[in-house]
Amino acid sequence: MAYYGQIAINILILLSLSVSLNLLLGYAGRVSMAQSILFGVGAFTAARLVLPQLTDKYNANVSGVGYGMGWPWWAALLGAIVVTFIAALVISLPAVRQVKGEYLILLTLAFQLGGQQVMTVWEAVTGGPFGVAGIPAIKIGSMSFSTVKADSTVRFAILMLIVTVIVIAVCWGIGESPFGRLLKTLREQESVLPSVGKSPIRPELLTFGITAGIAGGIGALFAFSQGAMTPVNFGLDLSILIVSVVVLGGVGNIFGTIVGAIILGGLDPILSNTVGADAIPWRAVIYGGALVVMMMVRPQGLIPEGAFRRFKKGKTTEEMTPAEAMESLSRVSATHEVGSAPALEVEGLKKSFGGLVAVGGASFTIAEGKITALIGPNGAGKTTIFNMITGTFKPDEGTVKLFGQDITGLSVVDIANKGIARSFQDVRICEQMTVLDNVAVAVPKQAGEGLTNLVFRPLKTRKVERATRERALECLALFGISDKANDLVGELSYGDQKLVAIARLLATDADVLLLDEPTSGVDPANVEGVMQGVRRLRDLGRTVCLVEHSVHFVQQLADRAVFLDQGIVLAEGTVDELINQQELADLYFGS
Amino acid sequence: MNFELLAQLTITGIVLGSFYALMGMSFGIVYQTSKIFHLANAIPFAAAGFAAVWSAETFHLPMFGAFIVGLVAAVIVGLLILVLGYFPLINRNATLLSLFLVSLGVTVAFPNLLQIVFGTQNKTLQVYGADGTLNRAFETQVYNVGFLTITQLDIVKIIVCWLVVLCVVLFVNKTRFGRSITALRTNPTMAAAVGINSKVVYIVVFAIGSLIAGMGGLFVTTEFVAYPTMALQWTLIGFIAVFFGGIGSLPGTALGGLLLGLLSSWSSVWLGVQFAPVVVFGALFIILLVRPQGLFGKAAA
Repeated sequence: MAYYGQIAINILILLSLSVSLNLLLGYAGRVSMAQSILFGVGAFTAARLVLPQLTDKYNANVSGVGYGMGWPWWAALLGAIVVTFIAALVISLPAVRQVKGEYLILLTLAFQLGGQQVMTVWEAVTGGPFGVAGIPAIKIGSMSFSTVKADSTVRFAILMLIVTVIVIAVCWGIGESPFGRLLKTLREQESVLPSVGKSPIRPELLTFGITAGIAGGIGALFAFSQGAMTPVNFGLDLSILIVSVVVLGGVGNIFGTIVGAIILGGLDPILSNTVGADAIPWRAVIYGGALVVMMMVRPQGLIPEGAFRRFKKGKTTEEMTPAEAMESLSRVSATHEVGSAPALEVEGLKKSFGGLVAVGGASFTIAEGKITALIGPNGAGKTTIFNMITGTFKPDEGTVKLFGQDITGLSVVDIANKGIARSFQDVRICEQMTVLDNVAVAVPKQAGEGLTNLVFRPLKTRKVERATRERALECLALFGISDKANDLVGELSYGDQKLVAIARLLATDADVLLLDEPTSGVDPANVEGVMQGVRRLRDLGRTVCLVEHSVHFVQQLADRAVFLDQGIVLAEGTVDELINQQELADLYFGS
Repeated sequence: MNFELLAQLTITGIVLGSFYALMGMSFGIVYQTSKIFHLANAIPFAAAGFAAVWSAETFHLPMFGAFIVGLVAAVIVGLLILVLGYFPLINRNATLLSLFLVSLGVTVAFPNLLQIVFGTQNKTLQVYGADGTLNRAFETQVYNVGFLTITQLDIVKIIVCWLVVLCVVLFVNKTRFGRSITALRTNPTMAAAVGINSKVVYIVVFAIGSLIAGMGGLFVTTEFVAYPTMALQWTLIGFIAVFFGGIGSLPGTALGGLLLGLLSSWSSVWLGVQFAPVVVFGALFIILLVRPQGLFGKAAA
């Protein structure tokens, strides 16, 4: 029994560590190479907190075991979780400046390898290469939970099972919450979050912290159960094994992780009984190989994300017509005072890259509640102007005013929150997410995006989430695609994907919507649908500014146009006025 | 701290830093071209060491013959990883994260395979002498110049490392092929449009990176021993040199490596040699906080 108990414990520990990494790797698309060392940090922290204090009677040198703070096990467990959580936040701090996965890989890898070395020399805490021994087991009443004796091994296995179930529930709860929706968006299209006014940094760091905190807590339980450990337990190979479990099972799917952990964790006893001493290297060859093979032939893993989605399908609420959607969406009041100032005033905007002048002092205004088109030949600087208005590029000179308020130089997130949202030429929708989630992520002020709300105000969170989904459905209904709400965006036609991107803009509540080539790449049959959608945005009172190459589209749609060439404004007026000017037409169509 | 100690530590730091710079070149040229977080760069490093030891014993090769076998082995495994591991994923436009995961799988499988094949013992590079006995290939000589001590191997290391740095920087900045590397790095679409074959560029770049990693492996094998996990810490040092010195700037990477070597050597006075990784990590941490593009890197537009 004890033998199987120990095998079960090993698999459960691996499973918990992997489930928590799946939150980071599967949902947020970031990978940590430090899961193993953080597990170790938790283990040693807990050991030092729970070991008895050094007294005359209890002398470490005499008894040959470590000494510590003499805390009760539960306090030591909490301590371990807090320490690893904070350690993770500190390690990932430099990644704040760069929202890029490589930085987290580099920092966690350096922490893992450097930490291993420090563990073997920092004798005061880790006991050096020989490690720490004599760690007291968890005791509840007269029952003890450890792997030292046979009956308590089974008890600990049961305890570990309960803990694992809790870890799975926590990770599942976070992953499937509005917070998890932020993470998935971060994974699929990291530039989208700032463009809808949400900082990607907080969720990223927090998720890494949670992943680490769980690893630290499991580390504490490991320390209590084993009674003794050495730094060798926390090598890079374990970190890689954990990544392999997640990838083998399927990133973003917790059931997959369970399968992965059972397969790779179950290798251990099988290999020890067959190849004996070579079991450890063979195991590494197998899971390393599995990682490579999976990426080649089945990158989505054994049980892919959303494998059970089709069972959830068919729960769509009754269809809403575009008119009904318009009706309920128009109740959302504008944040800015009507008629106070032009929606956007661009004044002397300049930007050059190296020696190349992209925009050379562009000035124009965009009237509220109208559709204004920026037109002009390729290289006229239209998209660069969008990028400066939304804060992606800092202008070299000039100002941008939103309803009279200067917003030049603010960050992308701040500008989006002030009420300017944009779409991208290359739609940037999240293909592995449902249509509804793609739009819901843009809805502002969601309680469920804060972890404290998820934990302490579950009812309110649920209520807000229901409102959010309803809101997202209305936005979809406005464009006539609410019937596809539960489909994956990747399965839609390109025209529908563009509509999803526009619905996402609408969901932000921003007053000024910048559309970058909404019809490019859309097949002619669907262009009409997109045009209708843009008109509906105006009918809702939104100010629309778009960059578009199709003259037909602009003529049909735009109230006004601004003609740009080589980074300066040549003319403003109605579309027909501009097109009828021979020199502009020549510039545009090429004479 | 007295002057003599400082001078000696500086010498040690230069030796260490030159090696860091070498590892930075190896990863830097691969990373700046392909953006792949090529952890598997550890494999040519270890492969070179093991191939040299094995060939010297099996084929009675002299030391330099064994070195050549080692370098050839390094380039071959490096290219195998690229062609069999990365190309299939690049062909279907996989994310950089999936490329890294392949790299990770290879990185963990290979040293363990070495362990299964060659056992856990450390491998010393030995060559057959004229009398038919197997002896350690290279016994370094220690020179004492005044109060300073430096070994023959250290001097060779400094010269070779900086020669490599010079060659790589000149190759990338001054040759026609080097310009196509830069073109591919800065604008892949445009590079393809003007007829640059990205596959060919990748192959050349990985061959160079693996060759340099192999040189690193040979230095460690000659000075100490070869063992399956010998490469990881040095590969990591290469990564750190790149991010510390400045992404996209090879001279910056080299200087960054040198600086890191000096820092870890000087700090050993207060912290002890074992804590050098902490110093290196700390330096990286601070630089990334205050200058995310690295010490000598140009800020991205």
